[in-house]
Amino acid sequence: MQELNNKIAELLTNNLVSIFISYKKGLNGKIKPAFFTKPNEVYENYFGDEAQQNLAVYVHKPEVKKYSKVGILANIFALKALLQLYAENQIKDNYLTIVTVNQDNKVIVFADFNEIESYIAQHQIEKNTNKQKEINELLSLSREKRWEFWVEQLSSCIKCYACRAICPMCYCSKCTVELNQPQWISVPAHSLGNFEWHIMRMMHLACRCINCQECSRVCPMNIPLHLLTTKINSDMEEEFGQIAGMKTTLDFALNTFKVDDYENFIR
Amino acid sequence: MSRIGVFVCHCGENIGATVDCAEVAKMAKDFPGVAFSIDYKYMCSDPGQTLIKEAIKEHNLTGVVVAACSPRMHEPTFRKVAAEAGLNPYLCEMANLREHCSWVHYKDKSTTLKAAELVRMLVEKVKLNTPLYPIKVPVTKTALVIGGGIAGIQTALDIANSGHKVIMVEKSPSIGGHMSQLSETFPTLDCSQCILTPRMVEVAQHPNITLYTYAELESLDGFIGNFKATIKLKAKSVDHSVCNGCGECSAKCPIKKIPDEFNAGLGTRPAIYVPFPQAVPNKPVIDRDNCTYFRKNGKCGLCEKICPTKAIDFSQKDEFITVDVGAVVVTTGFDIKGTDFFPEYGYGKYKDIITGLQFERLASASGPTLGEIRRPSDGKIPQNIVFISCAGSRDPAKGIDYCSKICCMYLAKHAMLYKHKVHSGKASVFYMDIRAGGKTYEEFVRRAIEEDEVNYVRGRVSRIYEKDGKLIVKGVDTLLNSYPVEIEADMVVLGTAGIANPESESLAQKLHISYDQYHFFAEAHPKLRPVETNTAGIMLAGACQFPKDIPDSVSQASGAASKVSALFSQNELTRDPLIAFVNKNTCVGCFMCQSVCPYLAIEKEKIKAKDGSVIREVAKINPGLCQGCGTCVALCRSKSIDINGYSHKQVYAEVMSLFNERSLEYV
Amino acid sequence: MSDFEPKIIAFVCNWCTYAGADLAGTSRIKYAHNIRIVRFPCTGRIDFMLLLKAFQSGADGIIVSGCHPADCHYTAGNYHARRRWIVFQNLLNFLGIDTRRITFSWVSAAEGAKWGHLVNEVVDNIKKIGPYTEYAKLGKIGIGSISEGNYARIE
Repeated sequence: MQELNNKIAELLTNNLVSIFISYKKGLNGKIKPAFFTKPNEVYENYFGDEAQQNLAVYVHKPEVKKYSKVGILANIFALKALLQLYAENQIKDNYLTIVTVNQDNKVIVFADFNEIESYIAQHQIEKNTNKQKEINELLSLSREKRWEFWVEQLSSCIKCYACRAICPMCYCSKCTVELNQPQWISVPAHSLGNFEWHIMRMMHLACRCINCQECSRVCPMNIPLHLLTTKINSDMEEEFGQIAGMKTTLDFALNTFKVDDYENFIR
Repeated sequence: MSRIGVFVCHCGENIGATVDCAEVAKMAKDFPGVAFSIDYKYMCSDPGQTLIKEAIKEHNLTGVVVAACSPRMHEPTFRKVAAEAGLNPYLCEMANLREHCSWVHYKDKSTTLKAAELVRMLVEKVKLNTPLYPIKVPVTKTALVIGGGIAGIQTALDIANSGHKVIMVEKSPSIGGHMSQLSETFPTLDCSQCILTPRMVEVAQHPNITLYTYAELESLDGFIGNFKATIKLKAKSVDHSVCNGCGECSAKCPIKKIPDEFNAGLGTRPAIYVPFPQAVPNKPVIDRDNCTYFRKNGKCGLCEKICPTKAIDFSQKDEFITVDVGAVVVTTGFDIKGTDFFPEYGYGKYKDIITGLQFERLASASGPTLGEIRRPSDGKIPQNIVFISCAGSRDPAKGIDYCSKICCMYLAKHAMLYKHKVHSGKASVFYMDIRAGGKTYEEFVRRAIEEDEVNYVRGRVSRIYEKDGKLIVKGVDTLLNSYPVEIEADMVVLGTAGIANPESESLAQKLHISYDQYHFFAEAHPKLRPVETNTAGIMLAGACQFPKDIPDSVSQASGAASKVSALFSQNELTRDPLIAFVNKNTCVGCFMCQSVCPYLAIEKEKIKAKDGSVIREVAKINPGLCQGCGTCVALCRSKSIDINGYSHKQVYAEVMSLFNERSLEYV
Repeated sequence: MSDFEPKIIAFVCNWCTYAGADLAGTSRIKYAHNIRIVRFPCTGRIDFMLLLKAFQSGADGIIVSGCHPADCHYTAGNYHARRRWIVFQNLLNFLGIDTRRITFSWVSAAEGAKWGHLVNEVVDNIKKIGPYTEYAKLGKIGIGSISEGNYARIE
């Protein structure tokens, strides 16, 4: 940790970054994001197993964008998110200084996104078999039961959009949910709009979601959104052999195609 | 506030017989936003059009729905009507009551209600239409003609003679096509090559025509007036700028036994060859698939050694050139079924059962027998020939439902030619019907029957088999109460079905034009636009559209050429502005849309601050390149891309207008 | 159930299926009247949200149809659409939405007869499955649990 603190302080002192995004312990003991602008604040920095939040989301927040150079402490999910954001043209060159701590507690400062690409390739995230099991259980139910399950789950959605706010991939300046000409997502507080919102969100995240499951974590109504993200991720991998947040290029599953994609469902 | 006018057309009985048009017009009056609604017998007629124009002015309409036939038929007509009444033409939409309703359903209340719903759907759409203005694009006054048969030759000459440039691409080593293979032509019996070859030479020498033989279209991009064609020039292995066409190489080539395409497989040719004596250009190419040099790694090379002008160039590679053209005429011709298509006629195992095209070569003075009718198996002059028409054609069991149109005539000609050459011989023609529609065609067939005593038997041949050196043809004579007929023939000629070229499907895909179930290219309208395709700027001529004879091919070719000339008579043309555009304010610049655009129309635009620094990058659609497919529109997550004519608001309104609680009472 | 007339909406491309449906008309092929066709330039233009909107609007079945692979007037719109439908279908199925009600098809400009058959098949099939009341009910489920049958009506 000391090595990390020194590094952050060094970056700030030498003006290599004007703000550094990391974690600190809040008053209630919970880990929360920290935004250091001066070296003497860095003592608050915290890094450990509880520091799970995907900090990449802050990179495209306007409050952070004001700063000319930004440093960020990125865990593996944040790295994947940042790489995906880079591929989607959301991170300007030489704007970010990305720091991570590897499994041997060594501090790494990445020179460019190609380095991140190879780092991620070497540090595959293990698939959570429990989550997959939950999905398989759902899929083994009859369609009607599955429908009942999701109606129950999604009817509790209060459309607070915390899932969107926490998502590193939701960076549109005007989300479709805010459009009312036409009204794509029904406004009234009934389940129709909830279904529409979550289906749309998943379709928009397909081939882009890095499955950090922050949305599920922050949902105040405890909707199991991780089931949706995990499903869409495994679909992408199975159907098109593609995992988001793995490369610097923009050829994703839904903006490319193969002539021989399967079409046994088309008559 | 919208003031929409609804005009319901009866189309005579076509709509009126199944849909209660007056009721539809009455119901439409109550649709929100409709200010005027009326039905009329023929909306597209002059009084119908006047009715619309007057209503637009009188009722101050802000949009028009014409409920009539398919918009693919009359949308331009009614948009013009709207424009003439001072309304922006793009504020006119059509509800398809004929093709999608009255013609496909029975007379019933539900059919009338469906018609009314279709009208309401379009009313909801047109309320959200916005005035649009056509895009002006320049025209490249060069035409690309694909295929150098008689249709292509005629097209190219007509366009070139009206002063425009033509690029002709022919896949084989010479132009001429099937017509160059024919002996004599019906109904005048003039020699095919005598009338064709002067035109071939004219093509080669015309200052406005650039001819690429042994070449194929690789790809076509762009749109009317502004196509970019990539042409693959196959390696000829002979430098034609040096070759003097002496023919030494072909004479000395040790490979001689390659079935000769020009002689429909009846003769042979060497590996370095000129397809036929009057070929244009009259210079050889090397058929690399059969040449020893290419097959055995540089062995042989005899032609290179003996060539007096050192024109042989084994190192040539396929070359690709890109040309700008404003219009394309497809004249790729047709193919015929081979004898192996017919199990009942021996699957092609009998050498003396031949196709009509092979008979042409036997009867041709330039053919393998120098014009003597000799049968392929032993070279004997056949004394008894049977001709069978409709071999494959008009036979749903064989998957070819259509009449190939030319066989009746050429089989009569064959029988006649045979009788002229072999006076003692007997000729019989088995036919289903004699289709001799055409100027002096019927007289020609009568001449074959009456003057040349060709035995016409109305009936089908069920089987042919070989017995003691004879081909036993078993059929029936349906005019004699299906009396069995058996003929011991020396040779049989099958008038096999004319079919689409095997490459037609892939060519259609390169050109983005439609084709029918038999893979013949589809014209834009079977009656009124027979030489155009549905893709603007691409025309059709000749047998690639459907089997047809020489006069028909030539007239269609001239028709296509005049379409091209009309297009080239303007310096600019207008294009429908139904294209996509980006909302700069909400675009976040992820550029995922770039890779879905098939036309590379999406560019990056920098949004700059006053001091010139780049604030952000957004997508920008080049209106000259966008063709309006809308794939980017559906992909864009923030819905920052929209498309004229099929906007988010419009299609949303259409969908939501159907079935919802305000929906009409559903029967 | 015998008097149930399903409401079917069809999203078709202008160049293939719309023309194919036109051909069915010119060929006077009779098929069920339950279908309403919405015309798009290309299957690539068809937004998945519109399918949800169609269900909201009360459709019991949806047909999405365009050009066969390689036949797209715009080269590749149908390929992009095909991928989109793979993802969309899987997702809807996972959520328990009745994907039997969405039929994807390629109908070319020459396949008027295929269009007629397709419409009849879909209508027959939806008649067997019955009206799609589940989705329509969503608009009546408010905050809270449905397991108690406590449907808060919010209009």
